[in-house]
Amino acid sequence: MERGYRIRSKPNYETLVWKEKASAHVVVAKGAGGMAVLQLFQQMHPVQPVTVFYVRGDSTDKDYSQTLTKLVGDELQVFDTQMEALYAFYRRLPDMKMGTRFYVSGTESFIWSLCKLAALFDIQESEIVKQLSNSLSRPVYCVHCKATTPNVTTNIVACSKCSRKLFVRDHFSRHLGAYMGLMIDAENPGEVPAIEEIYP
Amino acid sequence: MGLAFKEETFRDDYTYRNSLDAIRRFPFPFPEDKYMYSVNIEPHVKGKPGSVLEFPLDIDEHYVSECRDKAITLARDPGRYASLPHMMDAQWDVLELIMESLSRDYPEQFKLTKDGNRWTWQNLPLGIENTFTFGDRSSLPMEPFEYVGRQIQGDWVILDQREGTLFADAGIVTSQADWSLAFDVGMSWHQWHAPVPRATEIGVMDRALKFMMNLQLGEPVRRLNWTMTLNPRLDTSPENYPLWGPDRNHITLDNAGDRVHLRVELQTLFRLPRSNGIVFSIRCYLISLNELATYPRWAKRFHRILKDLHPDLLEYKGLTKFHATAVEWLSRYDDGAPLDIGTHPE
Repeated sequence: MERGYRIRSKPNYETLVWKEKASAHVVVAKGAGGMAVLQLFQQMHPVQPVTVFYVRGDSTDKDYSQTLTKLVGDELQVFDTQMEALYAFYRRLPDMKMGTRFYVSGTESFIWSLCKLAALFDIQESEIVKQLSNSLSRPVYCVHCKATTPNVTTNIVACSKCSRKLFVRDHFSRHLGAYMGLMIDAENPGEVPAIEEIYP
Repeated sequence: MGLAFKEETFRDDYTYRNSLDAIRRFPFPFPEDKYMYSVNIEPHVKGKPGSVLEFPLDIDEHYVSECRDKAITLARDPGRYASLPHMMDAQWDVLELIMESLSRDYPEQFKLTKDGNRWTWQNLPLGIENTFTFGDRSSLPMEPFEYVGRQIQGDWVILDQREGTLFADAGIVTSQADWSLAFDVGMSWHQWHAPVPRATEIGVMDRALKFMMNLQLGEPVRRLNWTMTLNPRLDTSPENYPLWGPDRNHITLDNAGDRVHLRVELQTLFRLPRSNGIVFSIRCYLISLNELATYPRWAKRFHRILKDLHPDLLEYKGLTKFHATAVEWLSRYDDGAPLDIGTHPE
């Protein structure tokens, strides 16, 4: 990439810090993202209501569920899959009050899956603090067949739906929660450059 | 005025051609021998009779075939139309702007009669007639922006102004130079311009945004932008890149005159009265190098622009593969003598 050129559609992530003026807190994390939740509870245990949704880390990811159970207590709900956790989060959204602040930590695929659900309830992106953890892997939207392939770690990836080889562009859509994938060998079928892991 | 609409195609057999009149009125964008991005925004005031700037919205000989091509693209990929739920007021604003402009400036082709909120719209070239209640979504066969967007040349994007920036929250986009509405919808100004090289660095995007945020009702503005397209293809979308990308491998000195086209976008921006949004119209004009060279002055100028274009722009505009061939083709029109400033053909 050209030096000094910043991709202005690419989200910047931060470190989770309690928003102390919030009326309630909702924390959602997956796998290694649990470390960010532990760090939050090192800052303090807030006086306002807190809910923590945690997806257990699998074999490829770290798992902090035991430590979190000790530290967070009854306000923690642990799930085996991302789908279950996001569904539970979604079911709780209608009850959430004005002034609730949201905290999410995980891969980009996880973070933006959650933001898309929140957006259905008019929760602005600015109300969600986001910390990237564990991996730089990207969700990639196939501009040709419109499917999104999660957790892509390479510069080029086969689309999970149409199998086209997609070049992962540095252009991010918050609406879709994904980077753009564009067919790499459209001009010269079969000419696919070396595939390299660049988002480990 | 008499408008003879041509039967032509923008895909497959590519029968699109410009008449001598259409060539003469082509919005050639290069007043000088050098090109770099600039804000280059000016008031969208009435131009000379017969020019593309005579009226706020230009209808030309390609109108019917272009609307037909748009319908094909939308049928194959409905995602070329998108509108976020909060954009309904702005949709009606745009319907009003387009219907009022066309019926006022092209009364033989388009008729609008109003009985309070009961409007009757007649589009004679496309054979469309509807009576509907302005503001009532259910009185039209589809959302108002899609309805009217299918009956006008060019791409249309509606921008919502909030949080100190502009968001591209609705669009009907079928003749784009390689950007995706489905991907970009909902993006803020800086987000959707992220891939434009060098523009951030030279501050163009910040200045343009500031200018647009202050756009006043009744004082539309315009600018020209350009790129190049192989074959007279309107739908050069990333979605269909596998269909048009390979054309880049087949440009030779023998076929460049026919196939290589200069693509000029007349971009106009109107503030909308009810929603306080802005509608951004991107009207595409295509001309082959052969047609362009009808006026050797244009070919000579374009040769100089292309020869010295910044490498980043060559890459961004997708010209790399056929750039050298196009430059060589145009060079026969360039004797090296100075050209006076201006975009006029002769």
